[in-house]
Amino acid sequence: MAAVLLTESVMKFAIALFSAAHAPSSRRALLFAQAALAGGHEIVRLFFYQDGVYNASGSVVTPQDEQDLPKQWRAFVAEHQLDGVVCIAAALRRGVLNEEEAKRYQREAVAVGAPWELSGLGQLHDAVQDADRLICFGGA
Amino acid sequence: MPKSLLMISRQAPWSGPSAREALDIVLAGGAFDLPIGLLFLDDGVFQLAAKQDAKALQQKDLSANLQALPMFGVEELFVCADSAAERGLDPTGLALEETRALSADEITALIDRYDQVITL
Amino acid sequence: MSTLHVLSHSPFGDDRLTSCLRVIGANDGLLLSGDAAHALQPGTAPFNALSSRSLKLFVLAEDAQARALAVPDWVQAIDYPAFVELSIHYDKVNSWL
Repeated sequence: MAAVLLTESVMKFAIALFSAAHAPSSRRALLFAQAALAGGHEIVRLFFYQDGVYNASGSVVTPQDEQDLPKQWRAFVAEHQLDGVVCIAAALRRGVLNEEEAKRYQREAVAVGAPWELSGLGQLHDAVQDADRLICFGGA
Repeated sequence: MPKSLLMISRQAPWSGPSAREALDIVLAGGAFDLPIGLLFLDDGVFQLAAKQDAKALQQKDLSANLQALPMFGVEELFVCADSAAERGLDPTGLALEETRALSADEITALIDRYDQVITL
Repeated sequence: MSTLHVLSHSPFGDDRLTSCLRVIGANDGLLLSGDAAHALQPGTAPFNALSSRSLKLFVLAEDAQARALAVPDWVQAIDYPAFVELSIHYDKVNSWL
């Protein structure tokens, strides 16, 4: 019997995260993102908004016996060379500043750097336009 | 054809930054000429209550941002009639005149119409 | 058009489930994730509300398991690869953040 090759089309996902690193929905977002890539799909952008910006913070110190989401996100983005964008307005309000913003606002702590990019909501809309599916994680 | 986005705003005006941050997504979309709709649902309807005084809480008054929506090309504005009624608000006496009051069934159809949706 | 609604809050003391059930369409699906899995607690109002509707219901297997919640036969327990598949099967995903 001839083998039937089932090819599923590659879908483009935009994944937006609204909750902090310690929230269960942040872990779900990462697991979903990993499953999307493992399933052969593309992630056009990861966009962190509201408390989601904390997932990009290098200042977060996770208790030893808990999952270190910021570290896992960083590794995931670096490994797959994904576009990881943090909303600048949401980040500023929450004290997640990169070097440029820390200098601009004369703040002590630089909390975010590569691979994360601070940018505007236009990047979220851009991703929504480009992707086949927008999946949001957050709340609880 | 650009994809359309419906924002469903469910939070009361000053319960944290959610109401403002939902509005920011809508305004940004409007600024980029994208087809954006905004539905006020559940406590989100309180954003439309008349005679609010944000200054009393030293909070930002969002009504200026709301009034700016049509100027940003966002004219698809809706309010859940049930949410308003449950909260003692008259859908016809809201701070934003251009909102259309929708029934639950109409909201089902509304969500269906849009390509993407964010519920905040 | 069909929508996969995703809930992640406990239905007790939160109105997301109630609001979702008001506007969910006949062709839509509903995924219970995180604390929303508590809606599968038998004998409760959320459980009764869900079991009385003819909806396509899903729960993240890990969330049911963690909470020792039995998955009724009218709910499908899914893993993350299946979650990805569902998000493709439905035309869009609406997470009640």
